[in-house]
Amino acid sequence: MDVLALNLLIFLPLVAAVLVWTLPERRESLAPKLALAVGCVVLFAGAWLWPRLPAAMGDRGAGALVGELKADWIAVGNRDGTSEAATTLTNGFVLRFHVGLDAISMPLIALTALLVPLSIWCSFTAIRKRQREYYAWLLALTTGMFGVFAARDLLLFYVFFEFTLVPLYFLIGVWGGPERRYAANKFFLFTFTGSVLTFAGILYLALRAAQIDHCSVIDFDLLRLSALSLKQLTTAEQSLLFLAFFAGFAIKVPLFPLHTWLPLAHTEAPTAGSVLLAGVLLKLGTYGFLRFSLPMVPAGTLEWARVMGGLAVAGIIYGALCCWVQRDVKKLVAYSSVSHLAFCMLGMFSLVPVGLSGSVLYMVNHGLSTGALFLVVGMLYERYHTRDLDALGGLARQMPILAFFFVLFVLSSIGLPGLNGFVSEFAVLLAAFNSEVLGRWYGALGATGILLGAVYMLYATGKLLFGPVKEPAGTPDLSAGLKRDLTLREIAILTPIAILVVVLGIAPRLVTDTLDPALQTQVLARVQEASALAAAVAGGAP
Amino acid sequence: MVGIAHPTSMSNIEQLLVAGVLIPLASFLILALCGYRLGKPLAGWVAVLAIASSCVLSAAALVKWHGLDEAGRLAARSAPVLWAYLGSVPLAFGVNLDSLTLIMFFMVTLVSTCIFVFSVGYMAGHSDEIDGLSKFHRFFTYLSLFGFSMLLLLIADNLLLLFISWELVGLCSYLLIGFYFHKKSASTAAIKAFVTNRVGDCGFIIGLGMAYLYLGDLSLSGAAQAFAGQWQTHGPLFSQTFLGLNLATWMGILLFCGAIGKSAQFPLHVWLPDAMEGPTPVSALIHAATMVAAGVYLTARIFVLLTPEAQLFVAVIGCITLTLAALVAMVQTDIKKVLAYSTISQLGYMMLGMGVGAWIAALFHLLTHAFFKALMFLGSGQVIEGCHHEQDMRKMGGLWRKMPVTCGTFLVGVLAIAGAGIPAIWMPNHTPFGLGGYFSKDEILAVAYHRVYGEENVAADAPVGRGEAEASPHTGNTAVVAGAAPIQNPKSKIQNAALPPWLFWIPIIIAYITPFYMLRAWWLTFMGKPRDHHVYDHAHESPLMYLPLVVLALGTFFSSYYLFRPLVADAAPTPFLTAAFDGEATEAADAHGLLIGHTTHAALARIVGGAFVVGFFVAWVLYRRGLGLAEKLATALRPVHVLLSHKFFFDEFYGLVFVGGTMVLKAVSYAFDKYVVDALVNLSALVTERLSWISGTILDQGVVDGAVNGVGRGTWSLGGLARSPQVGRIRNYILFAAGSVAVVVLWMAFA
Repeated sequence: MDVLALNLLIFLPLVAAVLVWTLPERRESLAPKLALAVGCVVLFAGAWLWPRLPAAMGDRGAGALVGELKADWIAVGNRDGTSEAATTLTNGFVLRFHVGLDAISMPLIALTALLVPLSIWCSFTAIRKRQREYYAWLLALTTGMFGVFAARDLLLFYVFFEFTLVPLYFLIGVWGGPERRYAANKFFLFTFTGSVLTFAGILYLALRAAQIDHCSVIDFDLLRLSALSLKQLTTAEQSLLFLAFFAGFAIKVPLFPLHTWLPLAHTEAPTAGSVLLAGVLLKLGTYGFLRFSLPMVPAGTLEWARVMGGLAVAGIIYGALCCWVQRDVKKLVAYSSVSHLAFCMLGMFSLVPVGLSGSVLYMVNHGLSTGALFLVVGMLYERYHTRDLDALGGLARQMPILAFFFVLFVLSSIGLPGLNGFVSEFAVLLAAFNSEVLGRWYGALGATGILLGAVYMLYATGKLLFGPVKEPAGTPDLSAGLKRDLTLREIAILTPIAILVVVLGIAPRLVTDTLDPALQTQVLARVQEASALAAAVAGGAP
Repeated sequence: MVGIAHPTSMSNIEQLLVAGVLIPLASFLILALCGYRLGKPLAGWVAVLAIASSCVLSAAALVKWHGLDEAGRLAARSAPVLWAYLGSVPLAFGVNLDSLTLIMFFMVTLVSTCIFVFSVGYMAGHSDEIDGLSKFHRFFTYLSLFGFSMLLLLIADNLLLLFISWELVGLCSYLLIGFYFHKKSASTAAIKAFVTNRVGDCGFIIGLGMAYLYLGDLSLSGAAQAFAGQWQTHGPLFSQTFLGLNLATWMGILLFCGAIGKSAQFPLHVWLPDAMEGPTPVSALIHAATMVAAGVYLTARIFVLLTPEAQLFVAVIGCITLTLAALVAMVQTDIKKVLAYSTISQLGYMMLGMGVGAWIAALFHLLTHAFFKALMFLGSGQVIEGCHHEQDMRKMGGLWRKMPVTCGTFLVGVLAIAGAGIPAIWMPNHTPFGLGGYFSKDEILAVAYHRVYGEENVAADAPVGRGEAEASPHTGNTAVVAGAAPIQNPKSKIQNAALPPWLFWIPIIIAYITPFYMLRAWWLTFMGKPRDHHVYDHAHESPLMYLPLVVLALGTFFSSYYLFRPLVADAAPTPFLTAAFDGEATEAADAHGLLIGHTTHAALARIVGGAFVVGFFVAWVLYRRGLGLAEKLATALRPVHVLLSHKFFFDEFYGLVFVGGTMVLKAVSYAFDKYVVDALVNLSALVTERLSWISGTILDQGVVDGAVNGVGRGTWSLGGLARSPQVGRIRNYILFAAGSVAVVVLWMAFA
């Protein structure tokens, strides 16, 4: 059942995408409904998988996988001549379709499963042209996102990683704002350039792994690559490999100063695109670092940790300052992602347990609150056709329900205790303080981020919601069957996120209880090993 | 390691308190979900009922607690409940059960109940200003949330839980200041309050990080123990220094930063006067009686983590604050602004008390202040409501005829804050009589005096042991036992060093100014001739609003030395405070315990005992005949008046330096983003494009393709060339043959 559910997550959207695409033109109105139905199935599958993990970890320990499936997909090379083992390769390389969920990927899968139906649903009134293609691309994107988090094979991960680019490219390029072509091109080229370098790194690592393990078949198994002998993979090699991974992942995060594609892509993308981009796709970068850079090249990670921490701190402050200048509220939220994900990176490269779990928690929380903020901003835009902070004002009187949700998500985003953002933010700062690698200055500087975050978010909230009412002439435009305040559909979209924002704020253990042991065994143990080795070398040298 | 307890294992007292915290939460949820349907007065009464039942529960807890002996009290504390693991660190929350919690809990619920009742009357006329859409229920929703967070703050036994409730309280403050959000000023004030508090919180969170890093435990008792351990072993907190101060001091100062923000201390005091944009009951509840006092409460809780240097910092901040605020209060004309600055000034006194080690006195002052300041704010609310939103005292006057109850109760508050009382030396058997403010402020000053002028007075005095039992005021000889600081770091170099004298003398001077500005406010409002007949004619008071005033006035009367102080003093030697130091250190603390004897107090009484008389007299002389004399004085002292009425230009200065600075910084950042970072990206794209043009157009078309074409063309021309000799002219053949022979011959000749 687990295997079925997981593969349903990955392949059902793809099948549905083809189906939606090929709908006859007179059945165009069926496309959104079909897509939403698929979204609901995905949500249920995700919800079904979620409680399976603690059970599996109880049985099989911290490394347990839920819904594991392993099959050769592409195998090239000479086969053993004997008839019995005709499928076993003697040399060459193999790409396996190997998927499964562990405690690190499960929260992100769950987040994706939640955001996908919501973002499909929120497009109902916003997208009115070329609906079949739109929903087809959206579903295709879904496949890519689930595949990335489920992949247990580095090359498979890469395949899905790149696969997500194409649907999003079209989503931005066709259904985006006025500068959509430029934004889509920039997004695609920027991220693609980085990931090509990552691909080179992956190939090198796999080749070296085969060499180290004296194995004639090259494969990309995640566990095997995360368990290479650190003595043989030299620090210099690891350092370079870290840079190769960095190229792809840091752009995706995006880490300062590689972030400039993001505000543009976010601003131009349709609401659903922004939600998925902020909520899920940015996490491919952070997830990549956590899943690959840290355990596979721990010595390289240690070498570069300070630089990463420095970039993160710079990103926190810089992103926040840039937010403040924005007049376009969507761009403001986009820049806030730069600042928030820098928090996530700061926690990760503190390389202490509390930082890593804070970092994963941050991914989830950022997905919820920023995704929700994009949804709300999209709802505003549908009514007013502008997101200019100077053109809007006092909307709390016009739309009290929207104002409630907006304020709630803003508070979550600025880390108000009692809501989800606080736990992760606090954990990250605590970790930065506590880190042997980074130290208290990183924590102290990072802490200014919580001040700046409050400033720009409340400033925008104040302008948008409070003060005298300001609306552009001829608005709100309710032609698409909207009401002045949120419709029931829109409330239903925001409510689940609002509930989770509160629940995760009060009970972070829902995520951290399974997460902590997994992070310890799969990630931190490797880093500690590398650090011990370095200490031994340093101790032995003089 | 923290034990994990099931909630049912809590003791009875703890259950009472937790229930007291949860009832306002339930009220919040009810009002948030269906407050709109409950409608106008009902929504308010739900909130009142909730907070009143909390008050009853806390009273029951207090009575129970009173009946317990030391062992019973210890046994009443149960193990905390695990909230989350962060990494490998367990975070467990429990109830911090001691006398201070209980008395604060009781005070907050009692004052809140009065204010909630008042609000039902007040908001009836103030909530329907927005498009006919009633916000009445929303106000009580926020108030209930505030009740919950404030009470959670009081029972928190963990710095993190303290911080969580701290922020929730700040959120309520933000929501309530911005309650009239259609007003630009209210929306701006709300943001200012939140952001200013965040500046403090930023420091607090860094301090929290340091505590976690060096002490490894965020529970109050655990942190205190670890702190003492570090001191004894000279751990990294004490051995490492930064900018000349050891890290322990830095940690204390940073944690105190949170209190600076919330208690509106210099330099973060600027938000509180602006916070008066909120409805007046909010000003009374949050911005006078309870929330702002939370900073002092926090300082009391982290007192054990403050090194003497950090304490000096606290004292200096308190001293600066109380001075600035009192000076500004002298010239304000808005009745709420006077009260706001007076609040800041009184908070400064409390912080000064904390800083000089008058732990008990500062908290005592906090309690008395909560009553009389809530009283005065509600009185001002009554005035504002009665005068149709007029807040300018220059337009009032003579209101005592229209509002006798408000006038009388307000005067009680004025007397209390002015420290009116009959000093002990003039009374038989040296038992002083006075209102709360008289004892609490004097006690702070007494400890300051002692810290400034050293031990002689104590040495000369009766060798009474530390604690309340031996030194009850009834015994006569020892008039006031100061809230001694039992937990100072005995080996620290400034432990016994005298504090600078100005820490004593400036507060003394301000003690003369306080009665002046308070009587001024009272006189301008209620006495004299009416200055604006429009305002005067409409003035009235309503019972729903003045009944709470009477209750608070009675509270002010009785919240004196004999009722409240013993309870606070009881909290001082709790396990929490003494846990920081083991036996040896406790003895040291005993030896250094600050016992303020009779002579000190008598000397002090001579210095400030008559302050309220002098202050009142000056105010009376100045404002007896209206504003004329004061205006003349203001013109005569124009530069001073301008300085004061512009609040020392703090807002302007911050606007210029910090806001302006950040504006520049953010503009620079964004310009950098746009013109440097993004330009580099675009440049690289451009370079690639040009390169591809070069490779595409020049190289590929020109060179590679050109080469192919060139080869083709070359062959073609070569063919043409080769063809040209063979056109059948005999002369050419001969020439070709001859040339060839010549070449061959030449080649052979030279080879």
